[in-house]
Amino acid sequence: MSNVKAEDTRREGFDQIGKPIPRKEDARLLRGKGTYVDDIEIPGALHACFVRSPYAHARIAGFDLDEARGMPGVVVVITGHEINEWTNGLRMAPPIEGLLPTEMTTLPVDKVRFHGDPVVCVVATDRYLAEDAAELVYVDYEVLDAVASYEAALAEGAPLVDETLTTNLVSHQTFEAGDIARRKAEAHRIVEAKFAMQRMTHLPIETRGCIALWDDGREHLTMHIGSQAPHPMRSALAGRLKLAEHQVTVASPDVGGGFGQKIIVYREEITVAALARHLKRPVRWREDRLENLSASLQARENTVRTCAAVDKEGRILSLEAEIMEDFGAYCFYPANYLARVIGMILTGPYRIQDYAFEVKIALTNKCGAGPMRAPMAITSLVMDGTLDAVARELDLDPAEVRRVNMLRPADLPYLMPTGERLEDVTPSECFERGLEEIDYAGFRVKQAADRESGIYRGIGICNVVESTTYGSAFYKAAGIPGSGHEAAWVKVEPSGSIRASAGLMGTGQSYETPYAQAVAEGLGVDAAQVDILLGNTDIAPYGMGARGGRGATAGGGTLFLTALDLKAKMLDIAAALLDLNSASELEMKGGKVLRHVGGEWSETGLGLGDIARTAYLDPLKLPEGMQPGLEMHRAWDPPQMTYSNATHICQVTLDPATGRIDIDRYLVVEDCGTVLNPLVVDGQQQGATVMGIGGVLFEHMVYDESGQNLCGTLADYMIPTACEAPVIEIIGQHTPNRRTPAGIKGMAEGGIMGAIGAVNNAVNDALRPFGVVADRQPLSPDYIRSLLRGAAR
Amino acid sequence: MSKLPIRLTVNGDSHEVSVEPRKLLSDVLREDLRLTGTHVGCEHGVCGACTVLVDGAPTRACLIFAIQMEGREITTVEGLTPAEGLSPLQQALHEEHGLQCGFCTPGIVTTFEAYLRENPDPTEADIREVLAGNLCRCTGYQNIVRAIGKAAKAMREGATT
Amino acid sequence: MKPAKFEYHKPETLEEALALLAEYGDEARIIAGGQSLVPMMNMRLAQPAHLVDINNIEGLSYIRANNGSLEIGALTRHRQVEESSLLVQACPPMPAAARNIGHYGLRARGSIGGSLALADPSAEFPLMAMLLNAEISTRSAVGARSILARDFFVSVFTTTLEPGEIVTQVSLRALGQSEGWGFRWLARRSGDYAIVNAAATLALNGAGQIDRISLALGGVGATPLRLSQLEQESRGKAVGGDWAREIAAQAAAQIDPESDKNASAEFRKELIEVLLAAALEDALRRMEGRMAA
Repeated sequence: MSNVKAEDTRREGFDQIGKPIPRKEDARLLRGKGTYVDDIEIPGALHACFVRSPYAHARIAGFDLDEARGMPGVVVVITGHEINEWTNGLRMAPPIEGLLPTEMTTLPVDKVRFHGDPVVCVVATDRYLAEDAAELVYVDYEVLDAVASYEAALAEGAPLVDETLTTNLVSHQTFEAGDIARRKAEAHRIVEAKFAMQRMTHLPIETRGCIALWDDGREHLTMHIGSQAPHPMRSALAGRLKLAEHQVTVASPDVGGGFGQKIIVYREEITVAALARHLKRPVRWREDRLENLSASLQARENTVRTCAAVDKEGRILSLEAEIMEDFGAYCFYPANYLARVIGMILTGPYRIQDYAFEVKIALTNKCGAGPMRAPMAITSLVMDGTLDAVARELDLDPAEVRRVNMLRPADLPYLMPTGERLEDVTPSECFERGLEEIDYAGFRVKQAADRESGIYRGIGICNVVESTTYGSAFYKAAGIPGSGHEAAWVKVEPSGSIRASAGLMGTGQSYETPYAQAVAEGLGVDAAQVDILLGNTDIAPYGMGARGGRGATAGGGTLFLTALDLKAKMLDIAAALLDLNSASELEMKGGKVLRHVGGEWSETGLGLGDIARTAYLDPLKLPEGMQPGLEMHRAWDPPQMTYSNATHICQVTLDPATGRIDIDRYLVVEDCGTVLNPLVVDGQQQGATVMGIGGVLFEHMVYDESGQNLCGTLADYMIPTACEAPVIEIIGQHTPNRRTPAGIKGMAEGGIMGAIGAVNNAVNDALRPFGVVADRQPLSPDYIRSLLRGAAR
Repeated sequence: MSKLPIRLTVNGDSHEVSVEPRKLLSDVLREDLRLTGTHVGCEHGVCGACTVLVDGAPTRACLIFAIQMEGREITTVEGLTPAEGLSPLQQALHEEHGLQCGFCTPGIVTTFEAYLRENPDPTEADIREVLAGNLCRCTGYQNIVRAIGKAAKAMREGATT
Repeated sequence: MKPAKFEYHKPETLEEALALLAEYGDEARIIAGGQSLVPMMNMRLAQPAHLVDINNIEGLSYIRANNGSLEIGALTRHRQVEESSLLVQACPPMPAAARNIGHYGLRARGSIGGSLALADPSAEFPLMAMLLNAEISTRSAVGARSILARDFFVSVFTTTLEPGEIVTQVSLRALGQSEGWGFRWLARRSGDYAIVNAAATLALNGAGQIDRISLALGGVGATPLRLSQLEQESRGKAVGGDWAREIAAQAAAQIDPESDKNASAEFRKELIEVLLAAALEDALRRMEGRMAA
C-alpha cells in the first residue's frame, strides 16, 4: 500500500478541519489540575540550586565548599571538576564556512563568561536548605575586563570571550546575487537606513525546571522536563551523559510557555541528570525568576544596516544588508543560525533580484542567545522600514512605494534572489484589503488636520512573509545542520477508540484540539473521539519538535497524512467485509462507512467499531496479505519552506511632551492557508502580535558596560500588561498551499514580525513633522524624547 | 530553627501542617497540601500566577508566610471549581479561548472571582486595569478580557434568575 | 528565591510588638502587608533574624476625621484608602494615589504605614505625605514621636525611624472647600512605579490669584520633594495664560535629578515641567468644579 501524498490532499471543504472547537486541555488547566513539572510529586526527591557568577568575566581561582557541605540537609556541593568528568561538553562545529568552532564544558572551571554563569551546584533535601548552603559557597574570582556590546567585542585589543578563538567575531558570511554595483550606478538615489532590536528574553510564565530519576537497576534515566522538542532533547541528553539513547526517556508534562527557550538541553539540566545518576536518588530543580532573567537563553539584539538603490518612483533596484548580532557568551546554537535566515528571507514580498547581505556575529560577556519566537523578526521591520526610508527621502507616499515594489499575483511563483520560492501567498491582496479596511486615505486627511491642532498621529504598515515550516532542504540550502521532518502515529484500538501522537510538544500552542481535528479529518470521525498524546519519548515518534510556525504544517500535516493512510487500510477492510473488489466507492464519515452508488452516498451499516474489531479480533476476515491491527506510522518532510503572509497596520498617537505612544488601532490581514482550528489561530495571532508590541515598546534586557545584568526582576524586564495590549483586529484569508497536507501553511510567529515593523513605522510616521527617525528599540518615552529634544519643530 | 505546627483553613477544610516560619504560603499549598493549582511564576509579587484569596481578598501567596495565615480562610483555584464542570468564569475562559499554556490562568480565576463579586458589571477598561496585575505571555489578553466580560454577564443573569 | 530563616513573632498588642522590637533591635523587621519586604526576603536582600508580624494588632486600621485633619492608621490597606468615602470627600488626592499603587491584587494587602516606612522616592503615599503636610506618628518602647513628612524621609529607602520604632498613624490635612488638586505621573506600564510623579493643591483668592499652593514631586531625587520656596514665590500670581507652565518650568530649573536605566536626568527634568503643569491645571479645573458645585 502506498502512502498518501501531501500534494494530493487539497480539497474544497473539510469536515473536522476548520471548526472553532474549544480546547480539550482547558478542562484540566482551568480547574488547577494541569500537571507542570513542579506539580509532579516524587517522594524523596532532592532539590538542586546553582551558585552563579556575579561577574561578567572572571578567572576562577578556586572554590571553598567546606562550610556549605557542612550545612544540615546538604547532600552534595559540586563543581565542574566532577560534573565535567561525568558528562561530555557541547562542541558546536558544523561545517559552515565562516563559522568558528566552539566548545563548552557542562560547568565552567577555568573562567566564567557572563553574569549568571552557573559554577557550583548544591543539592539538599529541600530548596530552602539548598539556598542556605548556596550562600556559604565561596568562589575565588579574579575579575577580567568584559565586552558587553557588539562594538566592544570587535574593538581592537578586546578581551576574548572564548580564549580558544583569536577573535570575538565567531561567524562571518556573505552572499551576493545580481549586479549591485551596476544597479547603484543606474540609481536615482541611494537610501541608507539602520534598524536595531534590543536584547530580549522569552519570559515564559513558567520558568525552566526538571526532575531527573535514575533507575539504577535498569540503568535508565527518566527526565521530566518541559520541552518543545522531546526527542532531540533526549538525543542531546544521552550524548552529554555518555548514555545510549535507549537509556533516556524525556517526559514533558504540561508546559507553561516556551517561545524557543525550552528547545535545547541546558547545562543546569545536564548537571541535575548527572547528579541523579551519581547519587542514585531523584533530583529536581526549579529555575527561579532571577535565574530565568539572567541565565536562560536570551535573544534578538541584532542590528541591520541597509543600502537601497532606487529609481524615481521608489522602486528598489538593488539592496544590500549588513546584519550584525550580539550572540552572548556561549554558542548553544550555531552562531549564524538566526542571522543567516534573516539574510535569506529579507526581501520578503518585494520584487528584488540584485541583493547582497553580510552576516557578522560577535561573542560578548552576556547570556547566550538563541531563537525566540520569530527569530527572524527583524526582517519585516528592515524591509518595510527601508521602504519607508525611501518614501521619506523621495517624499513619496509609503503605501505607494510598497505598491510599486510588491509582488503581484502574476509574479508568482517567485524565486527570491537567495533561491527561496514564494508561491500560494497573497501579499498584494492582504495589503490592499488592509488599506481599505483601515481607510488609509481617510486617515491621511485626518492626520494632516490633527497635526494642525497639535495631535500627532502616525500610521505604520508592515507586510510580512513568514517562514513557518523549515523543510530539510532549507537547512541544507542555508548551511545549517538539521532535519525538518516530522513523524506521527495513529492507532484505532479494538474498541474503536483512537489515539495519535507526533514528535512535537506544545508549550501552550493548543496542539491537542487541532491535532485531534487533523486526525479526525483523515480518518473520517469526530474530533472528540481522538486522544492526542504528546511529549513522552517512549510514546511519541521521533520528530523534530515544536519550533518556528511548524505546529500545524509539520505536526498537523503529518498526523493528517498518517490518518489518511490508516483510513485507506480501514476502507480496504470495509470493502472485504462488504464483498467489494475495491474500496474506491467507499468513504468514512462520522465513523460510518458510506458507499457511493447511483450518485449518492448511502450507509453500509458498517462502522469504525466493526472494522476495528475485525482488524484485531477477527483477522481471518481481512483482505489477503493484510496485517492485523490498525496502527499507522509515518514521517513527512515538508517542502523547503512554507510561507504565510500578512499585512499589519497600526495607528498610533504620539505625545511629543512626554514621548508616550498610544496604539489607537491595530489591524492584521493574514493568509495562513487552511486553518485547523480558527479559535486557536486567532489566539496565536493575538498573542504573537502583543509579544511583538512588547518588544517594540517595552522589553529590554539591559546590561551595563561592565556586563552586569540590570534586569533582575519582572519590574525591570517589562512585558505588556492587559492595559498596554491593544485589541487586535484580524481578517483571515485562506489560500491553501499546494504542497502541504490539506493546504496548511502555519503561523504564530508572523504576528511578532508584523508588530515590530508596523508599530515602529507608525511611530516614525508620527515623528515625521519633527524630522527625526527612531532607529532602535524599544521606543521608550525617554528615547522618543531624546529624539525630539532639539528637533526641527 | 525548627518546624512549627500550624493550622490552615483552605477551601473550607482545616489542615494541620508542620512548617518552618519562613515557608511561603505558595510552597505550603503546593508541597504540604498538594494543591498544585496555585502556580509560582516569579516569587516577587509581579506575575500574579500564585494569587489566592485570603478572607475573600486576592493575595499573592508568594508574598506571605503560611504561618501568618492561621485563623484566615484561604481559597485556591481548586476551591473555586465546582465538583462537576466549570464555574461561569472558567466556562467563559474555555469558550473564548482565554488561556493557552494555562500557567497564569489560576491566578486570573482567583483574582476575578473576587473582583466580580465586588464589581459585577465592569467596563472593559475596568477589567483590563485589574487584569494588569496578572501577566500572561501567550494570549495578548484580548480573549481573557472578552471571557471575563462574558462571565460577568452570565453571573449577573444567573443571580437574577 | 527562598527567604533565609527567621524567628516569627505575632504580637497581639502594640505594647507587645514594641517590647519585641526593643529586645531585638536591628535584628528585627516589622511585617505589615509584606508586599515590598517579602520580595526582598525572597531574594535574600533582607534577612531579618526576627520578623514581627503586626497584622493581628487591633486598632491600627482606621480612617477618621479629627479636628480638620484626617488620621489614617498605619495598618490601613491601600484598598481601604482607595474606597474611603471620607477621604474621597475631604482629601480626594489620597484615594486617587491609592488607586494608582500597583494592581488590584496587591492593594488588598499593602499598608500605608509600610509604604511610608519603605520610603520609595517614586511611590504614591510618600509623595502625598509631602503634599499634604503629613505628620507621621510613631511609637517605641521609650515613647511616642510625631514626625513631619519633610523630616521623615531621609534618602532612598531611608527614614528617620529608629530601630524599635513603629509607624502607628499618618495624619494629613483636609483640603479646603474651595481647594483643587492634581496628581499626574508617567509610568512605563500600568501599575509600574512612576518615572516621575507630580502633585499639587491650589486655592485662589477673590482676585483670581494664587492664595494657597502646594507642590510635590516624586522620582526626581532621593526622597519625594516639596517645593516650599517656589510655593512662596507663586503666591499672589494670577492664574492666566501660561501660569501653570511657568511655575512648572521654575520647578524643573531648580531640580537636578539623576539618570538610571529607565530615564535620563534630562528626561526627568522635562517630565517635571509637563507633569507638574498638568497637575496644576487639573487643580484649577477641580477647584472651579468645587466652587461651581
